[in-house]
Amino acid sequence: MAKQLHKEIRMKQISFPRYAEYNCCIKYGLEHAFHNVRYIMPPPLTRQTEELGERNSPDYVCTPFKTLLGSEIEALEAGADTVIMTHGACRLGYYGELQEQILHDLGYQCELINLSSYATGKRRDWLRLLKHVDPKLNLPKFIQVARDTLKMVEYVDDVTAEYYKNVGFDATDGEYRKAYRKFLASLNIADSRADIEADYRTVKREFQEIPLDKPDRPLRVGILGELYTVMDAYSNRNLEQKLADMGVEVHRWMTITNQVVHYSNVKNLEPKIKDLCTYSMGPTSTANIWFAKTCAEHHFDGLIHVKSANCTPEIDIMPVLQNISATYKIPTLYLTYDTQTSDVGLLTRLEAFYDMIATRKKALS
Amino acid sequence: MKSAYLGIDVGSISTKGVIIDDQNNILCSEYIWTEGDPIGAVKRLVRSLAKQFDPSSWQIIATGTTGSARKLVGTIVGATIVKNEITAHAVGTTTFYPEVRTILEIGGQDSKIILVENGVAVDYAMNTLCAAGTGAFLSSQAKRLGIGVEEIGEYAARSQHPTQIAARCTVFAESDLVHKLQMGHPREDVIAGVCNAVVANYLNNVGKGKKIVSPVVFQGGVSKNTGVVKAFEKALGCKVTVDPNGHLMGALGAAILARRGKGRKAFDFAVEDTEFHVREASCGRCPNNCEIICVYSGNTLIDAWGNRCERGAVH
Repeated sequence: MAKQLHKEIRMKQISFPRYAEYNCCIKYGLEHAFHNVRYIMPPPLTRQTEELGERNSPDYVCTPFKTLLGSEIEALEAGADTVIMTHGACRLGYYGELQEQILHDLGYQCELINLSSYATGKRRDWLRLLKHVDPKLNLPKFIQVARDTLKMVEYVDDVTAEYYKNVGFDATDGEYRKAYRKFLASLNIADSRADIEADYRTVKREFQEIPLDKPDRPLRVGILGELYTVMDAYSNRNLEQKLADMGVEVHRWMTITNQVVHYSNVKNLEPKIKDLCTYSMGPTSTANIWFAKTCAEHHFDGLIHVKSANCTPEIDIMPVLQNISATYKIPTLYLTYDTQTSDVGLLTRLEAFYDMIATRKKALS
Repeated sequence: MKSAYLGIDVGSISTKGVIIDDQNNILCSEYIWTEGDPIGAVKRLVRSLAKQFDPSSWQIIATGTTGSARKLVGTIVGATIVKNEITAHAVGTTTFYPEVRTILEIGGQDSKIILVENGVAVDYAMNTLCAAGTGAFLSSQAKRLGIGVEEIGEYAARSQHPTQIAARCTVFAESDLVHKLQMGHPREDVIAGVCNAVVANYLNNVGKGKKIVSPVVFQGGVSKNTGVVKAFEKALGCKVTVDPNGHLMGALGAAILARRGKGRKAFDFAVEDTEFHVREASCGRCPNNCEIICVYSGNTLIDAWGNRCERGAVH
């Protein structure tokens, strides 16, 4: 008993800020790959998280910085002693350093593992990070767990995509939503690859069995935009759910699976949008322009572009989206989020957008 | 007994109401200030509409509400349809101007642009994060200059050389305006400059990237300001139509939507005598602390909203 307790105390209490539905995967990965790590799940994002982040952040930094910082603080309050901050291809790459400074200034005696300092492109730097977390690292086991975790991420994205395509047409009293929430909850306690596979199979079967009341040609809307806000339901004020609830099939390409795990194909996407832009404009711009064009070519009924205030790469692609909107005659709604964004204002715009695309579809058919 | 339809548009600054017949003819209309009290404004509105209304030959069988207080007011008047102001404006304008291609709308706190093709809205934009260049800006500047907001157009028309006003932001525009006045610019020129600034701001923010095609209809409270209308015509290089009922367009749209809708419910003018009150409660079941609005008619709870999840649902 005492030995067990001693071991618990020596464990690293690592956390990673809330990010869409991926925290269960991060938990699985960290706890299984390293023998000395316990994952601290930060509380779900709320208004309080945002306020915490806002209070301690520079005013003009983008909203994800504030939300992530708020979530890190909440994780530290929940008992974490180490926080991981991701790297990225835009300003995100500098965020870890600044957040570390802010957290230390606030008096948190924590370690911040800044992935930016290891993302040099050299494999030995990543190895250095792994050895730093766990000196007794079992590399083959780590590789196996990493594979399982990526599979888990793919499952989350696959199920989420199916969910938002169909939940708006659920013929039962919320069974679809229940099945999805149950899937996410069960992933939180998954302990092996077999568990993950079983959860995935269960939810896929349940989705199949729930009766849908879906027209042959439902309204289809493509959602694209900045990496964090477009994926995180709290940050975009439940945009996808709100749209789906109006009876829309919601499509989003931007996921960790597509953008990070399988995104070796930027070279393949660029030629496909040669007619629209010559240069890459930022971490997600090529993919977003390509996705907008693809949706337009497939006669989607509308596009929604999501970004946080001051997100330069996404502001840069807006003229290209306006061209797509004009060429293919596809209505496009531009949404900018900051910490003050109100639910009511968003709903007004979404309702108007829905009315517009619904009337237009009726008039065109 | 002939059928009539009521449309109510409660905005941030003004409250509008119309009653129309089956042919969209206006039977009665009213335009009053909201004065921060949507419930009181609606009661005053209903009282004034009742005076113009002839209940012996007409009966209101459907009611629509729109504007930022649409939900609250919809609950109080028992609306058969509650619609956002963008759709209401588009519906209202396309009904009266089927050939319209661009609808410009500037209200008290928001501004929008709606692009129309073949009588159907195909694209729109609405201001986000900032209210620079809306009616609230004009009325605060009018107050600073000591003139009524209705007089702005008249002053602007007298100006020969409109002053340049930096209008990127309402607050800085105000400091620039004060600076220009202290430098000795005549009031007329400064006022004309403010009108130009509203238009420049609108076209740079809301109208950005939108192709503005004639015929253009301009509406909302600010359309009553001839100074802004002239500035729009100059900037766009085409005629800008302002409907005499342009300020009522949202309410007209709501009434038309109520007529087209399936819901039917006789409107009771008694709402003006009923006591409504609103109580705000903090949910407190999670750190979101949703502010839940409970609407009471007398002592009975008639509706509640504001919760983000089912934990805050009021039964």
